[in-house]
Amino acid sequence: MSAALAALLDPALPGRTPDRPVAGYVGADVPVELLTAAGYHPLRLSGSPHEDASPGRRLLGGGLDPVACSVLTRLLAGAYGQLDVLVVSRDCEASLRLFYVLRELARVEPSVALPPVHLVDVLHLPHRTTTRYVLAKVRGLRTWLAGRSGRPAGDDALAAAVAAHDRVRGLLRATGDLRAQRGLTGTEFLGVVDAATALLPDRAAELLTALVAELPDRGPRPGHPVHLTGSSHDSPDVYAAVEAAGLLVVGEDHDRGDLLAATDVGDPGDPAGLELALAERYQFNGPAAPRASIAEQAAHTAARVHARGAAGLLGYVRRHDDGPPWDWAAQRAAAGVPAASLEHQPYGRVDPDALDRAVRTLRAPAVAA
Amino acid sequence: MSAPARTGRLPSAAAATAYQRQWFADLHRDHVPGAPLALVNADAPQEVFRAMGIPYVVNQWWASIVAAKRRTQDHLARLRERGYPDHTEQYSSTALGSAFDPDPASAPWGGLPMPSIVLAETTGDASRKIFDVWGEQPGVTFYPLESAAADTVPERWWELMPHHWEDAVGSDRLDLMVGELEGLIRFLEQTTGRRFSEQRFAEVLALTNEQEEWNRRTRDLVAAARPCPVAVTDSIPAVMIPQWHRGTTWARDAAHRLHDEVAGRVSAGAAVCDGERARLMWVGRGLWFDLEFYQRFQERYGAVFVWSMYLAIAADGYVRYGDDPLRTLAARFAAFSDQLYTPPWSAEWYVKEARTHGVQGVVHLVSDDARGSWATSRALRAAGIPVLELHADNVDARRSDPDHLDRTVGSWIEAEVLPRADD
Ligand code: SF4
Repeated sequence: MSAALAALLDPALPGRTPDRPVAGYVGADVPVELLTAAGYHPLRLSGSPHEDASPGRRLLGGGLDPVACSVLTRLLAGAYGQLDVLVVSRDCEASLRLFYVLRELARVEPSVALPPVHLVDVLHLPHRTTTRYVLAKVRGLRTWLAGRSGRPAGDDALAAAVAAHDRVRGLLRATGDLRAQRGLTGTEFLGVVDAATALLPDRAAELLTALVAELPDRGPRPGHPVHLTGSSHDSPDVYAAVEAAGLLVVGEDHDRGDLLAATDVGDPGDPAGLELALAERYQFNGPAAPRASIAEQAAHTAARVHARGAAGLLGYVRRHDDGPPWDWAAQRAAAGVPAASLEHQPYGRVDPDALDRAVRTLRAPAVAA
Repeated sequence: MSAPARTGRLPSAAAATAYQRQWFADLHRDHVPGAPLALVNADAPQEVFRAMGIPYVVNQWWASIVAAKRRTQDHLARLRERGYPDHTEQYSSTALGSAFDPDPASAPWGGLPMPSIVLAETTGDASRKIFDVWGEQPGVTFYPLESAAADTVPERWWELMPHHWEDAVGSDRLDLMVGELEGLIRFLEQTTGRRFSEQRFAEVLALTNEQEEWNRRTRDLVAAARPCPVAVTDSIPAVMIPQWHRGTTWARDAAHRLHDEVAGRVSAGAAVCDGERARLMWVGRGLWFDLEFYQRFQERYGAVFVWSMYLAIAADGYVRYGDDPLRTLAARFAAFSDQLYTPPWSAEWYVKEARTHGVQGVVHLVSDDARGSWATSRALRAAGIPVLELHADNVDARRSDPDHLDRTVGSWIEAEVLPRADD
């Protein structure tokens, strides 16, 4: 393993900086640049499929994505350590419901220890009216953070944060593209993405730069190359199971993988344009299953399958993740490679028999017409 | 005790149902394939179509007809055959099954004519995609509206909404909705050749307010009346069918008529159930596949469902006054489902309604979907009202064995409601 990869995947990787307040956040639609610029260490919250999530499920209801139930349970248990603020995005229905429960808990059970929480409602229809709305939400978050931290993030700090996060995204894209040469497994890439969101951007950029330099010397990873679509993965378990079964995940379309770094904010030239640049970046970051149209999602999937040289399309849908099953028919038709889908899967796990069948379908030689 | 006698069917409920059937038959007779026809979600701004004279069918209303005719499963099977899920948002996806009906003439009410435009807000993770599939059908355009969410909201929205909706909903959400409605109107003007008249639009809004003001008076009568003068199974069609026709004089007059009939019953002391022992509230969508459900408990226990959200949301959720018609309409819909499903709005509203109606218990239908239930049940219980969470889907009967539903509700009434009611 390359030294940079080992460092990035080190379980002892520091998740926070001692002298900085911590801003927990939920979902990839939180403009993380604003958190950095306001002096926080941004910490993306993950659920854990290995922990009992019934306290969260009791509050969120049995019909909701178990990831949100897990995050809520962990928040209530203080599992993330001290969080000075919490910002929730609207990347999927479960995140929004999580926000509502947190807001309601703060109202009716003030004795429950929770950080101050803010919703940032980034929307995604490709309309000018939506951009104006998202811009208002970006400004709202900036103001709210200034109120919490006691000092407004100036334009210079924001420009620096944007540049730093863009740099990390560029390096993540470069790392991701090495998957076309099979330079690293999907499980490893998931760990790299995780590390890149846990570290402050400058430190993340250092390690990723080394990784991009070292990886090309590494031999190709084994496995039948597939593109993974459907639910997102906040733990490596499913990737590990899929790759242990002989597949190699060379790309995915969820926001803890390739989709986290699909586009940059860029340099608007004039600091006055920064907020708008942020709004447009988050509105248009690429199609995420819960928010994109079926057509957009299918076109994106097909393009990614092609770009990474995937020989198959694997769908994985967690129970109560309602968006992806609607996308599947169109994705499969657009992909042009053998396709198999695993539906109703338990959080963080995959049914081994269903996986076996999927692997057989994906590896079957194309039937001549 | 002998079975309590019931009042007969409410004439306005029968009239509304008859009107609806006739309206649908006329639509079938007059609709030329390809002519403008909309399918719109229940919580989308239908008034624009009304003002432009574009006929529309409400998605969930159609689903409730299909469910009442026990045809939901065929509809869901058609989705499954095409590789779409049959286990998410069934209430919103049932009508899509109609689009794939190989034999529409045998469908309920002669089937759903193919719409040319479908309108929905992009709520949830799946609802929007259901409409994407509609939009892929030949000749159908999907016009999506954003569904925005607010970071902070006031608790007692029902006091603010009629006149102070700008404060209740928030300017960002209203700006967004107004922008989108302008886009919708331009789209409809261009594709249908119909005109949007500001004057006609103002008239539609005024009629709607009048209609909902009648509903408000009716709701207040029902809240105060002892015993309960009207069955929920009557008030639901008597309110909701006019609701889907709001902005017409027929609908306004239907709401007026409902009010007068209820008032008449109240002054005559008429009862839905002679031996009314307990008053219940039904929180959630209607149990469309088993409407007798509500009556069984009044027959067995004298426990009367005096409340459903349909009359109550008509009373509190629609009235909007203002000088700028389009913004006023935006204010009706920008936060519509929040009123029912988002705490603290929803939770506080259910408590207020439970109190004004003097209920001794709440049956809260909890479906396996994202709407969530904790805040509503918690608020009602905190107000001292027993709550039964009933787990079922309102149109998909597969998970809802009627015996199980009956037993669950029955034993809860015996254990928790009657002892309090008889105190
Ligand atoms: S139950 Fe909910 S979705 Fe159905 S019509 Fe009423 S508000 Fe709309």
